[in-house]
Amino acid sequence: MLDTKYAYALGRIRVLETRLLDAGKIDRMVEAKTAAEALKILSESEYAPHLANLENENQFEQVLAAERSRIYKLLRSMLPETGLVDMFARQFDYHNLKVLLKAQKLGEKHYELLVPDVGNIPLDELLLAVKSGDFQSLPPRMRRAAESCLADFHPQLVDIRLDVALYKDYAALAKKYRSRFLREYFTYLADLINIKTFIRIMRLKHSADFLAEALLPAGELDLTVLSDSSEPLAALTEHLAKSRYARIVQEGVKHYRETGTLTRYEKLADNFLLQHLKQAKYVVLGPEPVIAYLLAKENEIKIIRIIMVGKINRLPTEEIRERLRDVYV
Amino acid sequence: MEIRVNPTRMEYNRLKGRLKMAERGHKLLKDKRDELMRRFLELVKENKRVREEVEAQLKSSFANFLLASAVMSREAMEEALMYPPAPVELAVETINIMSVRAPEIKIVQKQEAGGNVTPYGFATTSGELDTSIATLANILPQLIRLAKLEKTVSLLADEIDKTRRRVNALEHIMIPQLQETIRYIRMKLDENERSALTRLMKVKDIVRKEETA
Repeated sequence: MLDTKYAYALGRIRVLETRLLDAGKIDRMVEAKTAAEALKILSESEYAPHLANLENENQFEQVLAAERSRIYKLLRSMLPETGLVDMFARQFDYHNLKVLLKAQKLGEKHYELLVPDVGNIPLDELLLAVKSGDFQSLPPRMRRAAESCLADFHPQLVDIRLDVALYKDYAALAKKYRSRFLREYFTYLADLINIKTFIRIMRLKHSADFLAEALLPAGELDLTVLSDSSEPLAALTEHLAKSRYARIVQEGVKHYRETGTLTRYEKLADNFLLQHLKQAKYVVLGPEPVIAYLLAKENEIKIIRIIMVGKINRLPTEEIRERLRDVYV
Repeated sequence: MEIRVNPTRMEYNRLKGRLKMAERGHKLLKDKRDELMRRFLELVKENKRVREEVEAQLKSSFANFLLASAVMSREAMEEALMYPPAPVELAVETINIMSVRAPEIKIVQKQEAGGNVTPYGFATTSGELDTSIATLANILPQLIRLAKLEKTVSLLADEIDKTRRRVNALEHIMIPQLQETIRYIRMKLDENERSALTRLMKVKDIVRKEETA
């Protein structure tokens, strides 16, 4: 049976896809002389309405936040059931929970760091749960994670445990949709993050136990076995030489050895994921294009942020270009 | 310009005492100024060195921070950094440099060396943030040293300024004034003496004339 549930949404997505920033516009933004000029190019795009009440280009984050919020709302409105979008919106619930838990412990408020209107759980509800220390109203995995965070509080553990819970949520939900595309996406995402985490933890010289806790369980790679190696980076490249990430790891690690930064790796990892998303272009019926569009949009926001931060701080054009991700269209 | 005084012998002695005192004070203050200057130059040299070191490291840290902020959303960035990993406690004492009360800042309690300075998780943060934060954590002791040095330098500069003004006031105003006044009294007294003498001679003359007449 054909999955016609998404037929309507798909029709709209195909139109929206054409409105994503294409390589030409992004190129013009990179070549723009000033941040204001770069921002002006956005006014020829879907971002135009958000630009109206902007005082100066340093507030570009507002534009990006508004656009993200708009996309989630839009996608929720066009789908027969919002579960698919809720799944991705879950990261904002976890983000809000992190902020609230840390703020509670600090005895400060920091409400400006919350992301409103995008997540699944209303902020009031989260706030109430954190204030009372009673997480009954939250989804079970989130509740357990929050409780364990409070049991032995450390800001890093809060992040790590909630991230782990989030990726478990992702994996569980992906299974529910019986979509290979989705399952693979989250596996790749978790793996790529794990590889990066591995390199970073090795650099910070943390213990193997810490590594085991910080790695996301959702991936298919097991990197804990490498932690005893005396040459972790070499062991990593060798371990992954036959995996699908071989090229990324090889090039990323090479760049890391030369410059000490993970910039190249992060870029390659994002491009790898984007490449995976591009499969969705050939899906005629099914949820894939919706997901791909949402993530392409996130990618676009990331690109704009890189350009704007670069422009505002007057980074040379090549340096911005070096960090730019591919585009979906 | 002299000081208005009664040209009396008592005033004369008093002023001479003051002059001596001013000269002694002048010499002492000059020595103090020179010593302060010496210390000051030492500190300034050190201050410059530390500042350059700190600035170079801050620059690299900020550059990494900038790159990290380019690939992370603002909320994610601030969430990652909102909770400080370990408190640092400072003790501030004062030390005495040529009667200038300069601060002495010591780190009393610091997280163990090589401790965990990254208070955030890894999944949502960029690798460049690690480098940036590690650099910042490393330069904290130097940063505190720099704060101490800069404050000391500015306090010393203040004191030197004050001392120099005092030295100058003594050298160019107080002492010349006193000398001038003393000279004036001396002259006045001499003048009085001479006029008294002349008067006496004159009286003697008159007396002698009357006797012969």
